[in-house]
Amino acid sequence: MRSSQQRRRMVTALCAAAAVVVVAGCGAGSRTGAETAAKVACDFAKPAQAVDVDVLAYNSSAIDPFTNTMIKSCSKNDVTVKHEPIDFGGQVQKTTATLAGETGTYDVVETYGFVIPKYADKSKLRPLDDYFTKFSAEYGLDKINKGMREAMTYKGKLYAIPMQAQMLVMVYRKDVFDGLGLQPPKTFEDMRQAAKKIQDAGTIKYPIALPLKASADIVTAFDATLGSLGKNLTNPDDHTANLDSPESQKALEQLISLKPYLAPQVTTFDQPAVQQQLYNGGAAMAIMFSGRMNDLVQQSNSKFYDKFAFAAPPVVDGGDVRYNALSVDGWSIPQNTQVDPELLFELIAASVSEDASKAAIPAAYPARDGMVTATSSPYAAAAIESVNAAPPAEPYPWTSEISNQITPVIASVFIGNVSVADGTKQMQEIAKKVLADYR
Amino acid sequence: MRRREFAALVWPSLLVMFGLLMVPLYRTAEWSFKDVDYGESGTFVGLDNYQQALTDERFGRAVLFTVGLTVAVTAVLLVAGYLLAVMVNRLARTRPLVLGILLVSYVVPQVVGASMFSWLFDDNFGGMVNYLINSLTGLEIHWFTDPWPNRVMVGLNVVWHMLPFAMLVILAGLQGVPEEIIEAAKIDGASPLMRHVHVIIPSIRGVLGFVAVIGVMDVLRVFDQLIPLSPQAEQIGNESIMLYIFNTAFRDGGQQLGVGSAINILMIVIILLMLSPFIRDMAKEARKS
Repeated sequence: MRSSQQRRRMVTALCAAAAVVVVAGCGAGSRTGAETAAKVACDFAKPAQAVDVDVLAYNSSAIDPFTNTMIKSCSKNDVTVKHEPIDFGGQVQKTTATLAGETGTYDVVETYGFVIPKYADKSKLRPLDDYFTKFSAEYGLDKINKGMREAMTYKGKLYAIPMQAQMLVMVYRKDVFDGLGLQPPKTFEDMRQAAKKIQDAGTIKYPIALPLKASADIVTAFDATLGSLGKNLTNPDDHTANLDSPESQKALEQLISLKPYLAPQVTTFDQPAVQQQLYNGGAAMAIMFSGRMNDLVQQSNSKFYDKFAFAAPPVVDGGDVRYNALSVDGWSIPQNTQVDPELLFELIAASVSEDASKAAIPAAYPARDGMVTATSSPYAAAAIESVNAAPPAEPYPWTSEISNQITPVIASVFIGNVSVADGTKQMQEIAKKVLADYR
Repeated sequence: MRRREFAALVWPSLLVMFGLLMVPLYRTAEWSFKDVDYGESGTFVGLDNYQQALTDERFGRAVLFTVGLTVAVTAVLLVAGYLLAVMVNRLARTRPLVLGILLVSYVVPQVVGASMFSWLFDDNFGGMVNYLINSLTGLEIHWFTDPWPNRVMVGLNVVWHMLPFAMLVILAGLQGVPEEIIEAAKIDGASPLMRHVHVIIPSIRGVLGFVAVIGVMDVLRVFDQLIPLSPQAEQIGNESIMLYIFNTAFRDGGQQLGVGSAINILMIVIILLMLSPFIRDMAKEARKS
């Protein structure tokens, strides 16, 4: 008797717990936003048998339009395009895993200029030049920006079809700047002075917001600073690194000089956290990738949506090269896919077609020439100015490996656990070891 | 049960255990002696990976943090789990509802629960706890970048997640304590505290040991929570061993699978060492009974 009562109670308790979880899970949303995506021509020949195409692409407002267009437009004629939501970190790990073996989980992977050399060097991706030529007229591929195609090229072969580019853009609160008679900063020194004025006026405690997450974003900030100072991470000709150079020291010092104006926990902030800071009115200026800018001007996201203005990022210390990082995103076909690569190429070509690219504006900066004009979006003029003043890309197979390994050192220097001099020495040693494997 | 029936019922479990436990364990042990990348067979490097792991200060810090967190959280789980179970045991009609509510934190996926938990301490997302502390004391605590506040926050989250399990198991134990011996203690004049210390707790020693074993195993493997709760774990010495393994073997496509495997083997040794007193105790209990 007692045990049956206990059993009933236990079942009731578990049901109550399950009910709470189900209620909490409501509103989690659909798995993709393909229903609302653009429908474009995707005219591949029907395959001999039904095919599932698995796509690996992280979710962001700049990537989603291309992914969703592919799903909506190309899921037909016995082809089903599948995509599961994933964040950027997850994509990075899954890309490594899926490309590793003789067979993989994904048939189309989202890649970017930074990782193309690493995977192309190990023959993990298929060269796309022949398909590019074959389908160029049908999908208007010749209008894809040549420079962006070069960013996806390694040793003369094209390994990804560019979909869009991201560059750093500065966003600032026009009401705050106008109220204090400030102009958008042109240099880091301007930025510090503007931040000090805003702080002194008591308007905003931490006026500058930067994504400087210790485990990821901080290396992009270092690279952008170093690039603006005119130095690359490595010299490909003699396989040496520049991480103990005076410019490298200066880059770290310049980043550290912003600390009085950054939130104390800035080393835990990724781009969404910086967006949140801006939504809340917790910062007066920020520098992020352009793909994050459209969210800021949405009324549903912030009461300050109409107070944001945009400018090209400043230079660090004179010169023409801005604090910037140009990243080109594209679609690649893994070497180990079991699906017909020609069919896959048509899918990715359709998703970056003229119609698809037009539909991606203003959330994205499509890779097609003439697609974005100064009036395309509130931040388009700033993005165009920024893209023309970015440091040169470093398309070498060791770049991503060195960047990954020096990230904790940069974070330790920024936090103050390691001195600038020791940090640059440590980074140089790390880079030397990595480069030795490529000699 | 006949031998054939026994074999028929057991072999699926053995097959699953072999496939999901023995094969990965063998592969981990093999890789711990190799320099290996994804999709490659690797090259034998002897004890190099172990040497690299054991001479890395970061590994030492990760062991210290993980063991400290395990000891603190397991102690809290036992004490708080017991107190909560005693309170829930006294409930009558409302017990199922209270149990249901208490179990929510246990059934919510750890990373989801930890993300929501982090918002309580994050000014960017409301930061209710921060707001209360700041209103009452004027203090601004940096929960994510200062080592000790971060440790407290991580510890609280692990307790929040695991307490329902501890409470549930102890509650089952309490319900198995015969009423007669509690009545006898009452008649002998034992106070409520003495009844708990000298009668009830010794009666459920095995159950408490089980909670401790599960607590030690689970907290030693803490990982998911640290992603949202300690984004700067490495720099502030709050990297757990599992997070260290992940960062070494997988983060950002890093491919030190050999070193990661060696740390995994060392991790198994640490788990066995920390569990040995409890296992010995449980074996003794089993022999007695």
